[in-house]
Amino acid sequence: MKPQSTIRAPRFAFLLISPTWLVLGLLFLVPLAIMLWLSLQRAGLYGVIEPGPTLANYIRSFESGYTIIYARSVWIAVATTVICLLVSYPVAYYIALKARPERKNVLLALVVIPFWTSFLVRTYAWMFILRDQGVINSLLMSLGVIHEPLPLLYTPLAVMIGQVYAEVPFMVLPIYASLEKLDRSLLEAARDLGASAAAAFWRVTMPLAMPGTVAGIVLVFIPSLGTFITPDLLGGAKGMLVGNLIQNQFGPALNKPFGSAVAMALTAFVLALLWAYAGWARRRGEEVAL
Amino acid sequence: MKRRAWSVERGAPVLRAVSWLVYAFLYAPIAVLVVFSFNSERQTAVWKHFTLDWYRVLFRDELIGHAVVNSLIVGVMATVVATVIGTMAGLAMARHEFPGKRATQSLLYLPVIVPEIVVGAALVSLFGFIAMRLSLTTVVLAHIAFSISYVALVVRARLTGFDQSLEEAAMDLGANRWQTFWRVTLPLIAPGVLAGALLVFTLSIDDYIITSFVAGPGATTLPLQIYSMVKTGVTPEINAVSTLLLVVTIGLIAAAQRLETSKR
Amino acid sequence: MKRFIALCVLLTLLGCGGKDDGKRLNVYIWTNYITQELLSQFTAQTGIRVKFDVYDSNEAVLEKLASGASDYDIVVPTDYMVRIMTKQGLLVPLDHAKLTNLANITSKFRDLPFDKGNRHSVPYLWGTTGFAYNKAKVGATLDSWAAVFDERWKGRVLMLDDMRECFGVALRMSGHSANSTNATELAVARDLLVRQKPLVKTYNSSDFAGILRSGDVWIAHGYNGELAKACDEDKNLAYVIPKEGCTVWVDNLCIPRSARHIEAAHTFINYMLEGKNIAAVVNAMSYACANDAARPFIKPAILSDPARYPDEATLKRCNFLGDLGESLQLRDRYWTEIKAK
Repeated sequence: MKPQSTIRAPRFAFLLISPTWLVLGLLFLVPLAIMLWLSLQRAGLYGVIEPGPTLANYIRSFESGYTIIYARSVWIAVATTVICLLVSYPVAYYIALKARPERKNVLLALVVIPFWTSFLVRTYAWMFILRDQGVINSLLMSLGVIHEPLPLLYTPLAVMIGQVYAEVPFMVLPIYASLEKLDRSLLEAARDLGASAAAAFWRVTMPLAMPGTVAGIVLVFIPSLGTFITPDLLGGAKGMLVGNLIQNQFGPALNKPFGSAVAMALTAFVLALLWAYAGWARRRGEEVAL
Repeated sequence: MKRRAWSVERGAPVLRAVSWLVYAFLYAPIAVLVVFSFNSERQTAVWKHFTLDWYRVLFRDELIGHAVVNSLIVGVMATVVATVIGTMAGLAMARHEFPGKRATQSLLYLPVIVPEIVVGAALVSLFGFIAMRLSLTTVVLAHIAFSISYVALVVRARLTGFDQSLEEAAMDLGANRWQTFWRVTLPLIAPGVLAGALLVFTLSIDDYIITSFVAGPGATTLPLQIYSMVKTGVTPEINAVSTLLLVVTIGLIAAAQRLETSKR
Repeated sequence: MKRFIALCVLLTLLGCGGKDDGKRLNVYIWTNYITQELLSQFTAQTGIRVKFDVYDSNEAVLEKLASGASDYDIVVPTDYMVRIMTKQGLLVPLDHAKLTNLANITSKFRDLPFDKGNRHSVPYLWGTTGFAYNKAKVGATLDSWAAVFDERWKGRVLMLDDMRECFGVALRMSGHSANSTNATELAVARDLLVRQKPLVKTYNSSDFAGILRSGDVWIAHGYNGELAKACDEDKNLAYVIPKEGCTVWVDNLCIPRSARHIEAAHTFINYMLEGKNIAAVVNAMSYACANDAARPFIKPAILSDPARYPDEATLKRCNFLGDLGESLQLRDRYWTEIKAK
């Protein structure tokens, strides 16, 4: 296999990339600039914005009362990503490398179809399953296995189930895309050279599918940092995560400047993480899909 | 390329079992949804008796029909546009070196990184600023904006490390850049593009937060409608909608599959 | 493929068409606050076509109005939000000459502190925020906010996921005004709420009635409309306005400054001020209205239900959400603390 070389055809590249810049520039950069400006203003009474500029919002966002919230959000995002990875990889592997070719698209679609029902409806379905009088408890009680309903809903367990459930397609699809293009002859060569199935996986398959895996991790970890609806519905709204905090500031607290500052800080934090990863991977000479 | 008899391997049955377990996990709430859409009892998880009443209520409900149409319009438009733009971006990022590549990468990450509630609020401010009234169009624009990155990411991941010798061979044989793109590159990245398109449609048809900010009068999409129905009390009418949607999409995919296999 | 795309574009363009001849109205209203029949009747009577969308938070409306991009002609904010919107200059002063039915408003609801002289708003529906409980499970008669702080019902309590309402409860419990701006009093309330947290199974502002009915909780803090409906359906449930008092709130019809059909909006408001029209909403949705002319049209069962139409003595214990000024920020900090524990 020839090593990947990047083409230097700047004009063609610009052509390819200009619609992206147009759309995202207008619909993301400009609004973000507005948010950035907002984060430097003061919140007056009744939701009125008073002119700054001030760093007070950013300073406030680093108070200890708020850093606990960030830590908990990171913890939930990490847990979601790890469990999601463990759950999704086998499926992606199976579809990409083991399933019959004519079945692949169907199997892939089957992964995604549940997510074409509304997120809210699926979450309510989980509530229906996990409640005190829900499917699981009713079943267990009618079988005589338990006499009191198990508290499954409004617990961290329920939150994790809901979180992982919502992210599976975002992990399966990129990993699948990466695995699917694997050159099977490499795997065969590894087996021919005496590697066990496990070794072939760890040392050939996984590294080659790294770009897709990383893409999946990014697509799951980052939005999970800002999650708040699932923890509210399935966890009973008893915790406060970054997503709740931002929502409160834009909502009942009528403090858009502080909310924007927290959101900007979160964005900066994640961008820093991504840059750090890209730098580390590049120094290791790895192919980076970042 | 000969395919080894992978299925004879010891690992394969375990892998298949785990995969089907995951599918079971994915479909557990769906199964519950479908089954209880036929239950005559509103609240409990106890089966009363079979009824089609909720479906009757559903068909009389104009608001839901309108919401479904809106969701489909937005979903299809956003998918088409975002997939095209995103694929182009993914290609450029995976294959080319150009000034501003680092900046472009960060730009592509923004929609994934910025919390949805901020995106929604920011977009509303933007539309107000340029005096553009909220409507279904603003919803489509918002959906395109947040979807491009997902396609670009998936397509880029697929292309990274891809063997370019096929394309180089095509060009050696006299094909120009465009021909090579259409007849060699595109088919090669097709699974990635398809995966990206599926992702976008999924994101669009299910988006609540951003849509709730940018939707205008009469632009209620299905997630917004369902959210409001929940306040009426969760009735199996919601189950009925979801079941019907599932039946339709599965039907479409089965039809597409049949078309695919008959072409061969 | 190309034809498919062209079809989609065509469909969308068709969707956003239609001449605007002033005979249109875009309504933005709470979920379950109006019936399709009433709107159809309105169209039949006036020739004005209505599009309506729903929302479930005042702040969502504020966001849309403040941006200037919203296209609604009627919004229905709660009392405290009317104050905030007028302070931000987001509402159009109402032309009372066009509102011939204005006299129908119950005198008690005219000239309220958040909008003196009804310059920007007209009351629509009102209610209280008490709690409902399951008599069979609890085995006692409850009449005080102490119920939601009672260790006996640990894990069986639901509170609204609403900072102002929860603080209102805690402040009343500690003998202070629900609209207190005093930092010490607020700190006491915060501590009460922190101690309450282990008792709370879930905080929820939308499905509180459903969760109570399903048996997951035995005591639910919530708005009287949905809770009263739940009590109708399940005789074991009872709604209570506690002896310490509770919030009374009123939702109001207003016209945003960015409205494009102000004439039609006034026609609509006048229409909703007609007794039999608002009565139709009351009968369907279970909330009370502030309209004297509606009384003959309201179902007697609803009119005589103390959960929906409490008597004067009970109402005296209740008060509106007031102007919190700076203390809103303090409440928000404390609320974050409570939730983050």
